[in-house]
Amino acid sequence: MTVHRLATSVALLLAALAYFVPAVAGGSPVAYAACTTIAILAVMSYGADLILSYLGEVSLGHTIFWAAGGYAAALLSVNAGWSGLPTAAAAVVVAIVLAVALGLATLRTREFVFSLVTYAAAVVAMEIAFNWSFLGGSDGIVGIPPLTIAVGSWRLSASGNDQLWPIAWVVLMATLLFIHRFRHSRLGTSALMVQMNPDLATALGIDARKVRLGVFVASAPISALAGWLYAYQRAYVGPDMFETYFLVLMLTAIVIVGRRLLLGPLIGTALIIVQQTFFSIGGDGDKIVLGSVLAAILLLWPRGLVGLWTVLASRPRVHGR
Amino acid sequence: MTIDLEATGLSVRYGGNVAVDGVDLAVPTGRMVGMVGANGAGKSTLINALAGWSRGTPVVRGTVRLGGASMDGLSPHRRAAQGLVLVPEGKGIFSELTVMENLALVRPPADTTGRHLFSMEEIHELFPRLAERRHHKGGMLSGGERQMVAVSRALRAAPRVLLLDEPSAGLAPRLVYELLETMRKLVDRGLSLLLVEQNVRATLELVDELYLLERGKVVARGPAAAMKNDPRILEAYLGSLTA
Amino acid sequence: MNILQQLINGLVLGSGYALIAIGWTVLLGAARLVNFAHGQLYMLGAFVAWAVMTKLGVNYFLAVPIAVVALGLLGVGLQGLMLRPVMQQNLTSLMIVTLGFGYVFQGGAARLFGGDPERFVSPLQAAEIRIGEIWFTWQDVLTLVGTLLLFGALWLVLNRTRVGAVVRSVAEDPRLAQLFGINAALVYIGVFVFECAAVALGAGLVAPRSPILTSMGFDEVILTFVVVVLGGIGSVTGSLVAGFGLGLFTALFGALVSSAYTTAAAFFVLLAFLVLRPRGLAAR
Ligand SMILES: Nc1ncnc2c1ncn2[C@@H]1O[C@H](COP(=O)(O)OP(=O)(O)OP(=O)(O)O)[C@@H](O)[C@H]1O
Ligand SMILES: [Mg+2]
Repeated sequence: MTVHRLATSVALLLAALAYFVPAVAGGSPVAYAACTTIAILAVMSYGADLILSYLGEVSLGHTIFWAAGGYAAALLSVNAGWSGLPTAAAAVVVAIVLAVALGLATLRTREFVFSLVTYAAAVVAMEIAFNWSFLGGSDGIVGIPPLTIAVGSWRLSASGNDQLWPIAWVVLMATLLFIHRFRHSRLGTSALMVQMNPDLATALGIDARKVRLGVFVASAPISALAGWLYAYQRAYVGPDMFETYFLVLMLTAIVIVGRRLLLGPLIGTALIIVQQTFFSIGGDGDKIVLGSVLAAILLLWPRGLVGLWTVLASRPRVHGR
Repeated sequence: MTIDLEATGLSVRYGGNVAVDGVDLAVPTGRMVGMVGANGAGKSTLINALAGWSRGTPVVRGTVRLGGASMDGLSPHRRAAQGLVLVPEGKGIFSELTVMENLALVRPPADTTGRHLFSMEEIHELFPRLAERRHHKGGMLSGGERQMVAVSRALRAAPRVLLLDEPSAGLAPRLVYELLETMRKLVDRGLSLLLVEQNVRATLELVDELYLLERGKVVARGPAAAMKNDPRILEAYLGSLTA
Repeated sequence: MNILQQLINGLVLGSGYALIAIGWTVLLGAARLVNFAHGQLYMLGAFVAWAVMTKLGVNYFLAVPIAVVALGLLGVGLQGLMLRPVMQQNLTSLMIVTLGFGYVFQGGAARLFGGDPERFVSPLQAAEIRIGEIWFTWQDVLTLVGTLLLFGALWLVLNRTRVGAVVRSVAEDPRLAQLFGINAALVYIGVFVFECAAVALGAGLVAPRSPILTSMGFDEVILTFVVVVLGGIGSVTGSLVAGFGLGLFTALFGALVSSAYTTAAAFFVLLAFLVLRPRGLAAR
């Protein structure tokens, strides 16, 4: 109990400290932009993380939910004048509907067929976004108003990155809390069991398909909320939200530190965005860096940097023997 | 008497679980050595380790020598190429390939010194049924026919030492004797053979030497005639005989 | 609207789909391996041939074989790097690793060849054949004949030779194959090299139809995935049939319904199919 209390206090303290990171990092617009972007993209990655870490499958379709969140925010705020909370709710609903449909369609697929079908779905979604004038076609939707959140008489309107940061922070913390809860939930533990030992899971009466669908549907709103915030940050959405960049970023962020770690995707995203913001070697060069990191990690230390750490840490003991 | 296959201090671990523990073993040229033991005693683990092969991820310690040459660190396909040929327990042939294709997968070596090359004619003589079944896929054969193909392909590889892990599993009693007698004939022609068997009585009839494995350790070994009267064998396997 | 013309377009398109898919089919079926850099390898195949033609002045008919060899060599290197997950049959890792490789190729090619669309021209593209109302080019004929020949040869090798039996044995049970004296790692390298070389050949024959871009990665070949799955994963004959079927479908759908949504329509067919028959056409 006291250990639990201590852990909770430490977590809360860390969360509070995280809030001040951009201010401590100089408080410049660049610092706020980087931190907000890290928070948004990390949340996007957490959606895919649920699938990769807990189902052991590679979803190549999470850009759909990410874009769905963005398009929901853009359409409803620009055309209907909705404020932030209703657009967020709409983003979540749209993502869940899409995830149920895609989840049912892919229910019987595994491994690369699952990956390719989810990818194919993303290609279809992009083609639709690109061609359908309702979604702005190839030009996308411009002129998204500042993010306003109204609760009762309290109102908040955020336009720049420094104003969006508190909201990004809240979304990130809520996501972390959700993932933490998920890891200890029935669904989370069942998912792990289905991944590690499907026969045992079946013997224990776990319905693998239900679990897969459940995790898939739970993961979609996370990426969608990230897309929702991204739309406000850029004041624009377009078919570029389907780009492979986001896909590769999600996967790299997840594997770089190590799968099934609560803070893994956040730290991974931070490393990538810091490289691309402060140590960029040009767009194409950054692609080479991101792709190489992804491949190298899995080939050299399949368990991520944490695995590398264990290797290094255990070395002296081996020599000592 | 020369030794064809020799293992010293062989130990095999699966994670923290020691399945074979410091076994010394020798298969002399032209002899048939049997190995018996209860389920889970480590027989398969041991014979697989001799071939450098496994479906799991075991950690193997100790040395294996084939005709004096060290096999340590060699991958299973290299050992097979040098004449250390294993027919594993259970699935031993490809079900998507025909009998002919299964047999044609192995290529007899160029250098056959010390090895026993079997022509297709000899194999069809040993197992006439295979000639009729040659265009059937492995998956369409009966259990006994599969074992025949598995043994035949091992013979096509021109073994120096043949390792057989329960070749009679699932066979009718009459076929068990038939198969083991066929094996005995091959040994009499000069082949060296290590045989893991459940059927202790049949094994004792045919082998020259017998090892008894218990919990990964060799607890008794000796000429078949002597082992017949070993109290541990009598008690555990031939109990009904003395009762 | 000339139906006969659309049927011919469909056959031409379909032979291209089947040709680009064949490497994938063999890789998936014969080795149970995946390569998500397939699209970028297609792009590299086209750009290597283009670069050899424009920078070295080599003729098209020599440039394509050069690209095939170059990509084959690249395949040796890639497979060497991936040997561990390959031998462990760790598909999840392989999918992500090859996705990473693809991204590296895309960035690297953009640095090397620039980001502009380039014209990769085959002399046969301009040589048209007209019979009454319908027309096609000699390049179309070459692609169709090349595809049929390659599929025929591949079928013979896989089903009628010892090499084919070795490949099939490794596909079924790589561990058991080792006991037959087969070096499974070598077989995997061979299959992977075939995939890289075959996609380069596909690029050499198909890419001249339109301008080439270094960013034309996965999306360019994702339709061939429909071929691989519909044909029944790993079935050579199945993918030939599925390739032509898809070609006819896209040609007719594009002409009769809407050209903008052709890809989407093809994937809807695929999704419907997966719900009904998750293991493809060739599934028993
Ligand atoms: N792949 C594996 N991974 C982990 N442990 C294993 C593996 N294979 C065997 N073992 C363990 O090693 C021990 C010996 O097994 P082995 O298969 O060698 O026994 P055996 O004597 O051949 O039994 P049987 O007569 O039933 O064939 C057993 O305790 C078994 O659980
Ligand atoms: Mg056994």
